[in-house]
Amino acid sequence: MKKLYILNLIILCITINISAQQTPAPIQTTDFSIEGATAHIGNGQLIENSLVMFSKGKITFVGSASEKISRIGTIIKAEGKHIYPGFIIANSTLGLGEIDAVRATLDADEVGTFLPHVRSLIAYNTESRVIESMRPNGVLMGQITPRGGVISGTSSIVQFDAWNWEDAAIKVDEGIHLNWPKSFTRKRAWMGEGSGMEPNKKYTENIESIKTFMLNGKNYFKGKRYPQNLPYEALEGLFNNTQNLYIHASTVKEITDAIAFSKKIGISKLVIVHGNEAYKIADLLIENNIPVIIERPHRLPDNEDDDYNLPYKTAKLLVDKGITVAIGMEGDMERMSARNLPFYAGTCAAYGIDKEQALKLITSNPAKILGIDAIVGTLEVGKDATLFISEGDALDMRTNKLTDAFIQGRKISLESHQTTLWKRYSKKYSSQ
Amino acid sequence: MIKDGKISKIGKNISAGNATVIDGTGKHLTAGIIDEHSHIATVAVNEAGQNSSAEVTLEDVIDPDNIQIYRSLSGGVTTVQVLHGSANPIGGRSALIKLKWGETANGLLYKGNDKFIKFALGENVKQSNWGSAQTIRFPQTRMGVEDVYLDYFQRAKEYDELKKSGKPYRKDLEMETLAEILNKERFITCHSYVQSEINMLMKVAEKFNFTVNTFTHILEGYKVADKMKEHGAGGSTFSDWWAYKYEVNDAIPYNAAIMHNIGVNVAINSDDAEMNRRLNQEAAKTIKYGGISEEDAWNFVTINPAKLLHIDTKVGSIKIGKDADVVLWSDSPLSVYSKAEKTIIEGVVYFDIDKDLELRKDVQKERNKLINLMLNEKNSGGDVQSPKRRTQMQFHCDTVLDY
Repeated sequence: MKKLYILNLIILCITINISAQQTPAPIQTTDFSIEGATAHIGNGQLIENSLVMFSKGKITFVGSASEKISRIGTIIKAEGKHIYPGFIIANSTLGLGEIDAVRATLDADEVGTFLPHVRSLIAYNTESRVIESMRPNGVLMGQITPRGGVISGTSSIVQFDAWNWEDAAIKVDEGIHLNWPKSFTRKRAWMGEGSGMEPNKKYTENIESIKTFMLNGKNYFKGKRYPQNLPYEALEGLFNNTQNLYIHASTVKEITDAIAFSKKIGISKLVIVHGNEAYKIADLLIENNIPVIIERPHRLPDNEDDDYNLPYKTAKLLVDKGITVAIGMEGDMERMSARNLPFYAGTCAAYGIDKEQALKLITSNPAKILGIDAIVGTLEVGKDATLFISEGDALDMRTNKLTDAFIQGRKISLESHQTTLWKRYSKKYSSQ
Repeated sequence: MIKDGKISKIGKNISAGNATVIDGTGKHLTAGIIDEHSHIATVAVNEAGQNSSAEVTLEDVIDPDNIQIYRSLSGGVTTVQVLHGSANPIGGRSALIKLKWGETANGLLYKGNDKFIKFALGENVKQSNWGSAQTIRFPQTRMGVEDVYLDYFQRAKEYDELKKSGKPYRKDLEMETLAEILNKERFITCHSYVQSEINMLMKVAEKFNFTVNTFTHILEGYKVADKMKEHGAGGSTFSDWWAYKYEVNDAIPYNAAIMHNIGVNVAINSDDAEMNRRLNQEAAKTIKYGGISEEDAWNFVTINPAKLLHIDTKVGSIKIGKDADVVLWSDSPLSVYSKAEKTIIEGVVYFDIDKDLELRKDVQKERNKLINLMLNEKNSGGDVQSPKRRTQMQFHCDTVLDY
């Protein structure tokens, strides 16, 4: 009976624990030295038997463990293990939705057509259990991006261990997202149009309306800006080159038109998102210095006659041309699947790019594209100590097993709603 | 060694005679992957509207020209159970196919296997996510789902008794199918998520003296794994899906590991055409989540689903006398870096990574030829039309077509 009572108490405690996310870790006060691991720097370099040290949230040393230098703080012996910079998920709605089918939990898609003034950051839910499930896989930062409309809104970059969105923010309102008109639209079967796709009859008209909105915005800044127009005000960063314009476009025609459009209205910081056919016009992207945030490689080819492995090798096709590529996440089950980010990079490596190059797709490249490369994205002195140790190769699902993870030097919990249930039910059976 | 579509010899230095020799040095050879739960290669998935559709069968709607068959072969998949959707508590009968790309619909069907039917529980059958207009079909709650089963099985029992008594009876296709379940001639694979309803269906089955063969998806199987084992049900689950519906809020990627550790026969399934062709990677995730050994993880997509489908004496492992359904991998198939190089079914190579490169050239050539024909037609003043593009329909459990 007493045993049962104790067990009940344990279960009760666990129940209380799972009611919210793991408690964010306090500011780093103890220094750390991680010794002996293979360090994957994130810029293509690799250091075997490495020494990585960090203090007050910043990396203070990255080099060989054979160097005669005094270790600081707590020493973590990590022979045979691997150390990586925290992975960054681009174009994600993490924290803007919890359960896909439960409308009350969804905050990613506001009503309206041109909403540059809508900001993702203030709706970002730091307590999301889905976000918590990213961390045990090494995904520690993300670009939180609104969806829908023509201009969906403004994205921000956050880290995944925070009390509130202000704590979470790494870079606030860094870019605006434009869903480029589709050149082909689905026929409306219920209108008797049959099935399949046809050229979008309103394609040019749709582009004109975007152009009108943007040019009106541009003209607005030449005037008194009073009374204020909030959507136009939100465009300022695009015209003074402090914000990225992320154009979500897939086909050759759409991407080509999007680039021409941006040039015409005077926007220079352009990023193509999706870019499924970007590899066909790689030279145009190179010429204009435009990076691409590709869709997750774990998807089906768009066309029946595409190579079966086209989504797997898209990264290679672009990287080989010299384009800066990151992996993004938009579409079905995008939030819960984002923890597979390392395995997407692994798949890109399986289909032709070097493993350390593949790692760049989820570390230094997104950092560069998102404009946070001065503070995160690689294991380099002076950058945030946002990094983790894995028992093995973190891009392979067999060996992606995190032992320790740090965000800004803070040692974060790797527990989650899911690990709690795992332990709770394993215990149920072992005590039977 | 493969002969007449079967595995004839296994060992070192086998004399090959005049057989074709494939150099597998440094590579891995495995049995073909078997997906217990898929909706590829079909033109329909849900007979919706009624709460039982036991009269329909997926064998009638197999689409042998679906490109997904080839894509799945490229991922080392050889056998797939094509299931009815989950719109109804009692769904339709399933089709078991081998991915013999190029065969007719009948040619794809697995021959001489036990027959299965899809059942479903939870949010899909109670139409929870169909909008506020769809709130009148029975059942709308999990309580009602039990009654659907009790009602149908009682009727089927009475129908079967009448039929066996020799007295005249009116033939009913639904009742015939359900009576097969009672007579252990047809087996249930049940779409399921939440522990309460899983438990309920096992109790209904026990009341009518049969066993639920498989709980598919079964993301809360870890909560009732001991009861599943006792009942004799297997679990075919996703590696890491969750949070897409409220009923998968407690779904955990450790589910497969817990069920396996308790002694339930566990498979990893796809439901999804994209995941179907990467089931090797999905199996590998159980090594990360729950510390499953590589051998057991691999069984999750080969011999274990074969057992769930009652075809383990024919496929699912490399054994003398079994069908020569084998895959040659560039690396351990559980590695993220591994690629299927050759997928062989009954001794015939249906996917070859080198041959594929040749086929791509053919596709390109044909494409250029067609474009040139069209251009010539246009330049010589022929009729023109605006471009069209075909779309690919990908089915899931909850796909309902409205035409």
